[in-house]
Amino acid sequence: MKCGDFRETYVEDMAIFETAFARRALWLFLAAMAAVPAFAGGFWLDVVNRILIAVVAATGLNILTGFTGQISLGNAAFLSVGAYATAALAGKAGLPFPVVIPLAGLITAAVGMVFGIPSLRLKGLYLAVATLAAHFVIEFAVTHWDSMTGGVNGISIPAAAAGPLSLDGDARLYYLILPLTVGMLLFAKNLFRTKVGKAFVAIRDQDISAEVMGVNVFKYKLLSFGVSSFYVGVAGALLGYQARIISPENFPITLAIDQLGMIIIGGMGSILGSIFGAVFITLLPELLRLVVGPLSATFPQLTTLFSSLKMGVFGLAIVLFLLFEPDGMAARWHTIKNYWKLYPFSY
Amino acid sequence: MKRTMVGMLSAAALLAGTAQAQEIKVGGIFDLTGITSDVGKPFAQGVQDYVVHVNETGGVNGKKIKLIGADYGYKIPEAVALYKRLVNDEHVVLINGWGTGDTLALKDFISKDKVPYISASFAGDLTDPSKTPYNFFVAPSYSDQLRAWLSWVKEDWKDKSRHPKVAFFYGDNAYGKAPMEAGRRFAKENGIDVVDEEILPGNFQDATSQLLNMKQKGADYAYINVTTTGVSLVLKGAKALGLSTKFGSNPYGFSEALPLVAKETAEGVTGVMPHVPYGSNVPGMKALIDFNKAHHGGETHDAMYVRGWATATVWVEGLKRADKAGKLTGEGVKAALETLKDFDMGGLTSPITYTPTDHRPTTRCAVYIIHGGKLVKVKDYDMPRRADWLGL
Repeated sequence: MKCGDFRETYVEDMAIFETAFARRALWLFLAAMAAVPAFAGGFWLDVVNRILIAVVAATGLNILTGFTGQISLGNAAFLSVGAYATAALAGKAGLPFPVVIPLAGLITAAVGMVFGIPSLRLKGLYLAVATLAAHFVIEFAVTHWDSMTGGVNGISIPAAAAGPLSLDGDARLYYLILPLTVGMLLFAKNLFRTKVGKAFVAIRDQDISAEVMGVNVFKYKLLSFGVSSFYVGVAGALLGYQARIISPENFPITLAIDQLGMIIIGGMGSILGSIFGAVFITLLPELLRLVVGPLSATFPQLTTLFSSLKMGVFGLAIVLFLLFEPDGMAARWHTIKNYWKLYPFSY
Repeated sequence: MKRTMVGMLSAAALLAGTAQAQEIKVGGIFDLTGITSDVGKPFAQGVQDYVVHVNETGGVNGKKIKLIGADYGYKIPEAVALYKRLVNDEHVVLINGWGTGDTLALKDFISKDKVPYISASFAGDLTDPSKTPYNFFVAPSYSDQLRAWLSWVKEDWKDKSRHPKVAFFYGDNAYGKAPMEAGRRFAKENGIDVVDEEILPGNFQDATSQLLNMKQKGADYAYINVTTTGVSLVLKGAKALGLSTKFGSNPYGFSEALPLVAKETAEGVTGVMPHVPYGSNVPGMKALIDFNKAHHGGETHDAMYVRGWATATVWVEGLKRADKAGKLTGEGVKAALETLKDFDMGGLTSPITYTPTDHRPTTRCAVYIIHGGKLVKVKDYDMPRRADWLGL
């Protein structure tokens, strides 16, 4: 038995699953996920759906920020583009969801690439501020383009439908969201085994070196904005189908911060990290609510404290992760996994 | 011993069973932490207290009401999530809601799910049953309130050489914008010039630039359509600029709380009051005061509390009538509410009437003015029930 990580061929090096056991475990996990609606009703199914949507959005952001190194605060706005595109395509044009979702993704990708143009000249904090501007520009458009977006009153979206099939209700929608999420994760995982993905990582690690090596930096930066926004747009479409009513309040700047928090806590530049982070950040307020809910019968002032409590715990979680596990939950997961893989001969 | 145990257990089971059958679940979507929490908290308290009061005094024909209420922070997505939980998981018969934005956003859901939704938003859009069959509220609409205030402006304006100039201040949200179109049209029909409209951001701290704009346009009167905290900020800003404009406000900006918050700047400010101030000398007030003596040590409240109490009074009456008809369902309660005709509110607000074709509860609205820190009634204005004003 080998007691270490010895890769002898390129195929082995590129493998997604290091062992057959990991592959089987994933299949088992997916089977378990498919059975969730049988056990989780109403409220928790709603939470699970929101987690899956957050996973897609966080993966999108991770492609841009974690893998390509372009910090973006425009994620909430891009989500809103996807959601409002869905409102227009499904609500006004009456298109079926297999058409609406990719189209919403493409529209968002186009918008994302437009706002990605400044990345040619801007890096780091400056790009963050430029994407912040994108957030406010899009938010303003959404709030004031009443005929298309319903303005501050919001707009309702019909249930996801294709011909006679109507995905009305959380359980049915779950079977759209779950396979789509798995598919998009698989695509993202594979993306970083291709030339494009390697180019993204090269730009993140050193953009000048990447340029010297022959990577067209601007082209790949824009492509990264496009791919990332496509993911976010699809997440926005799913969010629209799930919430059924969207308004500018669905997409505040704090949502963009939440999503940055997801990839920081989960792990930048890690697909697994996007999943962990999205689960953690989405569950956090719900679990807090579970704790605060029963207590607030005895301490009514807790209800008013709740919203600030949520922000406080969120901030604390980020600080603690940056201090103790800067590479996020994904890194901790690998540490734990490797420990048990070699147990008890850890050297 | 064993037999008594079994007996006790089955008795307990029986009790639990009957308790469940005799319980009516009602949902509550309240703002306790959001930008309108200044008025949302006393409103929610009024609703909750009335439910306790009903349960203590015989309930709904013997059935107890279980109010499942939660805070949504004046955020539409939160309200949608809460609504889904209340309707799909808790299976409530009706919902006591709050804001305009969320109520308007939910209107398609409400019609589809057939859940009567009694909002604290008085938006005129909600009064046309051909569009929003399950929406109700307990007051004259925002539009009729603004019309009543504009009628007061017309009477107050003595200079006949020109029309009075009016400015509108409103929040950049559905509640702020709700009555504006009705106000513009009413002003045009009645020889009032709307010279300026200023938009106040969600959580504004200062309205100086908006006030300077208004000053330039030379408005004689201004209607502020935000909640108490915002109104007092505008009034303080106007005082600092030394403006002579006469300000008026909507019922969520105008109550006993306004002179307390805005201090001397509230002097001479007018406001529409669809619900009477707490402690007013009307027959319906006794129950509120007695309840607060018994439960809260004689605490006093404001008109928002009265509003919550009055709103709950109406839907409880709907539940009672629906229960009597043996149809304690969403459809049954809607039908029951539509049988209300000049339903006496004990003076807390005007008598309430709903019909299957018109959900305008009343069109009568009082205008009050603040004199010496006290609310003084100026006059009741009765707006006509015009067909072209339905849903506007």
